[in-house]
Amino acid sequence: MSIAMSIVDIACKEAQQDGASSISIIELDVGKLAGIMVDSLQFCYDSVCKGTLAENSKLVINEIAGKGHCLKCDTEFEIDSFMALCPECESYEVEIKQGRELKLKAVTVNE
Amino acid sequence: MCDSCGCGVGDEAVTFTKHGDHHHHGEGHTHTHADGSTHTHDHEHPHTHDHDHSHNRTIAIEQDILGENSLLAQRNRGYFEAKNVYTINLVSSPGSGKTTLLEKTLTEIKDIPFAVIEGDQQTMNDADRVASTGAPVLQINTGNGCHLDADMIHTAYKELQLKDDSVLFIENVGNLVCPALFDLGENTRVVIISVTEGEDKPAKYPTMFDTANICIINKIDLLPYVQFDVEKCKEYALQVNHHLEFFELSATTGEGMDAWYTWLRENIKK
Repeated sequence: MSIAMSIVDIACKEAQQDGASSISIIELDVGKLAGIMVDSLQFCYDSVCKGTLAENSKLVINEIAGKGHCLKCDTEFEIDSFMALCPECESYEVEIKQGRELKLKAVTVNE
Repeated sequence: MCDSCGCGVGDEAVTFTKHGDHHHHGEGHTHTHADGSTHTHDHEHPHTHDHDHSHNRTIAIEQDILGENSLLAQRNRGYFEAKNVYTINLVSSPGSGKTTLLEKTLTEIKDIPFAVIEGDQQTMNDADRVASTGAPVLQINTGNGCHLDADMIHTAYKELQLKDDSVLFIENVGNLVCPALFDLGENTRVVIISVTEGEDKPAKYPTMFDTANICIINKIDLLPYVQFDVEKCKEYALQVNHHLEFFELSATTGEGMDAWYTWLRENIKK
């Protein structure tokens, strides 16, 4: 819920500075390893938007795939959990390169 | 984020109470944004929603949603560094023994000045327990919130008036999900798992284990009575985070506590 509040806060502030009358779309980048449950974020989002510039707006989430780098054999590969096993050497010593993103990408506003 | 407890609803409900105090601080708490501006949750906006949808335009923002918390955490980190305060964030599910571990540590080590920030949704129970060890303690009641954030810690340490060269323990709200996402400015994050839980906790809640530096396996005195495979638990945790360092102990009986104390003494010197 506090994350949904932060998203709507940042978006409303940007929209206000832009002189917009309302927000129609808020677009996020959410990594698969960001620890965010998309369904629950969507649920919180709707209630947080009530009474703000973002009321009735749509939340668009771009899911960013996880990428890991094996520290043993240098292989880069796609991962979908923190328990990433290198497909080449079967090591768990994997550094996460991508997938932790939690970013407000863009806001579509109405004048 | 947590989908069951409605975390973070209304920061206005957050209270900060020193042991023995009955007055509340932080009510009517405002949000500080990244640019220093604040807002007070007045959601009224007198303009009309009538508008022409043909004038839509998209503003690129590219802003980290947790950026504000991260900035505040950096500020906390700077404060702790300037005062040479070593800060440890204790995270776990409820009932894993965080408070007992703290009580034991604060009782048995008397030559290090400690201070404690307690985080719970309700009650002063943990703060009262910790206060009986003699350490200064401040209770943050988060209301519905299921984690502590960097701003709450900022308010709390100002109240506590931390001593230079001390060690600050932060006992986070018992929850293995949300606290993982919030940097408080700590030096070390310690995740505690007790043997009465499932050994697959690290696999089920990987974000928490991924962001921790130390993993304490607590209540080992109960191992003869429960089905818990310590090696399997470690294996799962290392699969998530191969940097994790482990301590196996019982905060109740004291078994294994010496290794934890040794780690504590060695690390606060750095």
